[in-house]
Amino acid sequence: MPERVLLSIGTKKGLFVAEANKARRSFTLRGSFGTGVAVYSALIDTRGRPRIYASSCNTWFGMKVLVSTDLGKRFKETKSAPAFPKDDGRALANIWSLEAGDRRNELWCGVEPASLFRSRNGGDSWEMVTGINNHPHARMWQPGNGGLCLHTLLRDGHRVHLGISTGGHYLSEDGGDSFTASNQGVGAGFVPEPFPEFGQCVHKISGHKDAPGRLYMQNHGGFPEHPDFGVLRSDDHGRTWRSISKGLPSDFGFPIVVHPHDADTVYVLPLEPMTRACPGGAPAVWRSENGGGSWRRLARGFPKKESFFTVHRDAMDIDELKSPALYFGTTTGQLWMGRDGGEDWTCVFDSLPPIHVVKVAVV
Amino acid sequence: MTIMIHVPAVLRDCCEGASELSLTVPDVRAALAQLERDHPLLYHSICDETGMVRRYINLFVNASHVRDLDELDTALMAGDVITILPAVSGG
Repeated sequence: MPERVLLSIGTKKGLFVAEANKARRSFTLRGSFGTGVAVYSALIDTRGRPRIYASSCNTWFGMKVLVSTDLGKRFKETKSAPAFPKDDGRALANIWSLEAGDRRNELWCGVEPASLFRSRNGGDSWEMVTGINNHPHARMWQPGNGGLCLHTLLRDGHRVHLGISTGGHYLSEDGGDSFTASNQGVGAGFVPEPFPEFGQCVHKISGHKDAPGRLYMQNHGGFPEHPDFGVLRSDDHGRTWRSISKGLPSDFGFPIVVHPHDADTVYVLPLEPMTRACPGGAPAVWRSENGGGSWRRLARGFPKKESFFTVHRDAMDIDELKSPALYFGTTTGQLWMGRDGGEDWTCVFDSLPPIHVVKVAVV
Repeated sequence: MTIMIHVPAVLRDCCEGASELSLTVPDVRAALAQLERDHPLLYHSICDETGMVRRYINLFVNASHVRDLDELDTALMAGDVITILPAVSGG
């Protein structure tokens, strides 16, 4: 079967799946799935026979995890969703991240209130990862505007990186048994101490599988007193961080994405900090090809004015084809594709519901 | 005493398609506890993991909302009907 590009698009009104051949000239759309319920996280698991997972944030009846084994033609609920033990006192409010584990059926899941769960059977049952859930800091974290969410889960062997808003970056070097706040150089412009041990409003962290020591972070920026807090880089597995914000029109944004074939190439989508919308109404993705040393504006194909959308933290992704395309979804329901690593942008779908998450895979 | 639980259409998949469930319980709390044992998917659609009824789920005993009675301690009489109603909301 020829390779296909598969997009999993989580929206306010359910999940959509888009499919194209490798040329990516046109996409067919399937959905929505999940009876119009908001989807904040998705995973296209390409280990073995591809499976698509998505969370379903049902306001009335609680959280569900959806799974498809036929490339998004049909979905069913897994047998259970993550849940706190009865005596814990916390109740699941949302599912923010789904990631593949080491074993075939192993899944990891970051939730709100910020906690981590692991499944060993494809989402049919879940166990709490106590190393972070019972961390002494956990009861001191505060919710950001999106809630107290564990939104980023990066795994590299026994290292596990977590991004928590508002908690900061936590690092495990023992497979998740224990976690340490690892925020040296990560600023917080909303508390008196600008570099606290923890409590930063991390928006997203990205890495590259061939350069695990290199990480990029979109932190909560936009503070006039601290113009360099927003976009950061680490070269020591997240132990220390330094700013790479210089040259960007705004250091505020949500997603941050790394090129699949070059750990020095990284993409952000700067937003005005007060409106969380495109600066000047003119959307642009910014790319650095030298690890954040300098940035270039990529806007060919975008409107030049009167566009004031927001792009959420998990709503941008990049495929792994030789000349990869970037994809992002907007709060105004547009799905954009940027060919040639973001050089040339096309609106693939322009009237979807508000988009929370976009994931892409070549299957 | 035996009471009846009326299950809304959107939740019947959680209890093998049943529209009504017959239980012998003394109060609403005991009714939910029995649902947790017999129909866990239905229970978890009504209550979160702390045991609280979910925010947008309404429980009525006959024509009265349990919040206007004794909440989950509302006593039940033979023939009472508990109705589970999702709130009308969204946008």
